[in-house]
Amino acid sequence: MSRALSVLGANAREATDSLRKAKLRTALGLVGIMIGISSVIVMVSLGEIAKAQARKQFEALGTDIMLVRKSPHAPTPQGRRPATIALSDAIRLAPEVPSIVEAAPRVSGHGAFRHAGREVGDGRIQGVTASFASVNRLSVQAGRFISDLDVDRYWCVIGADIADAMRLAGARRLVGEIVEVGEVLFTIVGVLNDATENYALPVQVGANGSVFVPITTSGRVVSEPEIEVVIARSRAGVHHETAVADVRSFFRDRAPDLDLEIIAAKDLIARLETQMRNYTLLLGAVGSIALIVGGIGIMNIMLVSVAERRREIAIRRALGARRRDIQSQFLIESVILTTAGGVLGVLLGLAVTWGICRFTGWEFLVSGLSVASGLSTATAAGLFFGFQPARQASRLDPIAGLQGD
Amino acid sequence: MLSLVDIHRSYRLGPLTAQVLRGVDLEVRAGDVVSIMGPSGSGKTTLMNIIGLLDRPTTGACVFEGRDVSGLGDDALSALRNRHIGFVFQSFHLLPRLTALENVCLPLVYRGARRAETARRARAVLERVGMGERIHHRPDQLSGGQKQRVAIARALVGEPALLLADEPTGALDADTAREAMDLLLELNAERGVTILIITHDPAIASQCARQARIRDGRLVEATAHDPGAADAAVPRRPSLPGDIGKGAAARPHA
Repeated sequence: MSRALSVLGANAREATDSLRKAKLRTALGLVGIMIGISSVIVMVSLGEIAKAQARKQFEALGTDIMLVRKSPHAPTPQGRRPATIALSDAIRLAPEVPSIVEAAPRVSGHGAFRHAGREVGDGRIQGVTASFASVNRLSVQAGRFISDLDVDRYWCVIGADIADAMRLAGARRLVGEIVEVGEVLFTIVGVLNDATENYALPVQVGANGSVFVPITTSGRVVSEPEIEVVIARSRAGVHHETAVADVRSFFRDRAPDLDLEIIAAKDLIARLETQMRNYTLLLGAVGSIALIVGGIGIMNIMLVSVAERRREIAIRRALGARRRDIQSQFLIESVILTTAGGVLGVLLGLAVTWGICRFTGWEFLVSGLSVASGLSTATAAGLFFGFQPARQASRLDPIAGLQGD
Repeated sequence: MLSLVDIHRSYRLGPLTAQVLRGVDLEVRAGDVVSIMGPSGSGKTTLMNIIGLLDRPTTGACVFEGRDVSGLGDDALSALRNRHIGFVFQSFHLLPRLTALENVCLPLVYRGARRAETARRARAVLERVGMGERIHHRPDQLSGGQKQRVAIARALVGEPALLLADEPTGALDADTAREAMDLLLELNAERGVTILIITHDPAIASQCARQARIRDGRLVEATAHDPGAADAAVPRRPSLPGDIGKGAAARPHA
């Protein structure tokens, strides 16, 4: 045991010494592994960063959100209009289902918006209730949002982009101004702050380019005034599947004909994460190709090193080195080489990732997983690609190596 | 300490089989200084490789320190070489990247000795061969004679029972060769190490107490008459044909 350790120590010193003295060869090997490891790092890091980015979008909106809508695959009963979500049911959802905190139904249409004879936007008209603002985390910069007391009123709240367009069109105080929605005049009661959109959800809020009106008034300006979606938020601590089941049973009791589709954000996140994981694996595989090329470079370098040192190996064998002593000497050499290349590759990979993040505006983060996998892959590559050369070295015939000058 | 009985060694060269050794018998006692002479291609080096446990005979028994080594595995042979045999080569075979001290340390490294102990013993033996001033020099900073002294130090640092020298003076000029040879004989006298020298130089062979020749793949021993050799070799014994082994005794050359 102590013999093995002291030979190992001597081999490690010998290996570093040999690498230091064959500078060019060492440098070439390092560069190969460095590029391989850094591409793995970049690929895996970018995958992780994209995942974090998608997660952040959900977190802005909350992961406790769910969308309740008429199933797009619902069969149309003969001679009748398909069942739709009734406004009365949507409004009772939150008070009557304990696992739901808030529910915001929406009627949605499209139209052009005009102010003082000038077009100020062409976007979504959304009929909503007061809870729509809190469910979707919308806030006002002036005035107030639609209230539940605004029943049948021709009052509206405008998104940030519409507000900007109106200011450009010469409007001073936005609250109190008149905006023409389709053919109908609405008085502005509130202006929204700029809102970030979550593109990961199948239903977009699109607050910035929208005009919000009371859901009871929306029938006058929207061609198809039915509830398109109810955006609901589940109570903290309630499992999303429980909440989904509760909502489903609530509607089954009240509207047995209604075929609902309920999408919980958590399910979407899980699905997204599976996709991202596959994506990360794919990227990792691409990076691994670079690593394999680097590894083959190491193998080549080690084979050359073994060939150049046949005499040295033979002398060591004559002096009493066992086969595995020789094998460990060369294996240590290749592992030191690839591990050093791995450390440099991790640094380079992080630098490149940082650069890409700056360029794309993503938030840079150091993925512990990618650093750990980069370093362990480098070491494993040293063992893997160094094995054959080291084995070859250990099998050299000492007699042949000692002959000739 | 070493006996070779009817050693044969042949090599396959494509369809041909080259018979290099055809029944070598040799009996070496502890403290002997034996020279083996022969023209090039006669199988001197093959014999040395077999004695040095680097090669195996095709047939025949090799008993080293009372132990038949023919059945031993590679690790066991490596360990035997490491502990009991020191090699001195014609072209020194020092590792060029290592200093004299590091070169001399190698056998002890493979023995698993502690670093401090290894360095202490390597220094001591380098001082003994007169290289105490140059322990941190690399081989390319040393002259031929100095390199051979370092090589002799490396061969002796593990206190082996047997020192195998293959043309130890072949790469040296006459004066340096004589010095190297004197050093070997001194070490034999001082430490009782058995020395086997392969040479084609009769002047070197004549300094050895026992002299043998390889002829037709067999070993033939002649008695030394040189009084200088008699002084140098400590356990001086008359070498008789009977000493060599039963095979040699039966042959007319002896």
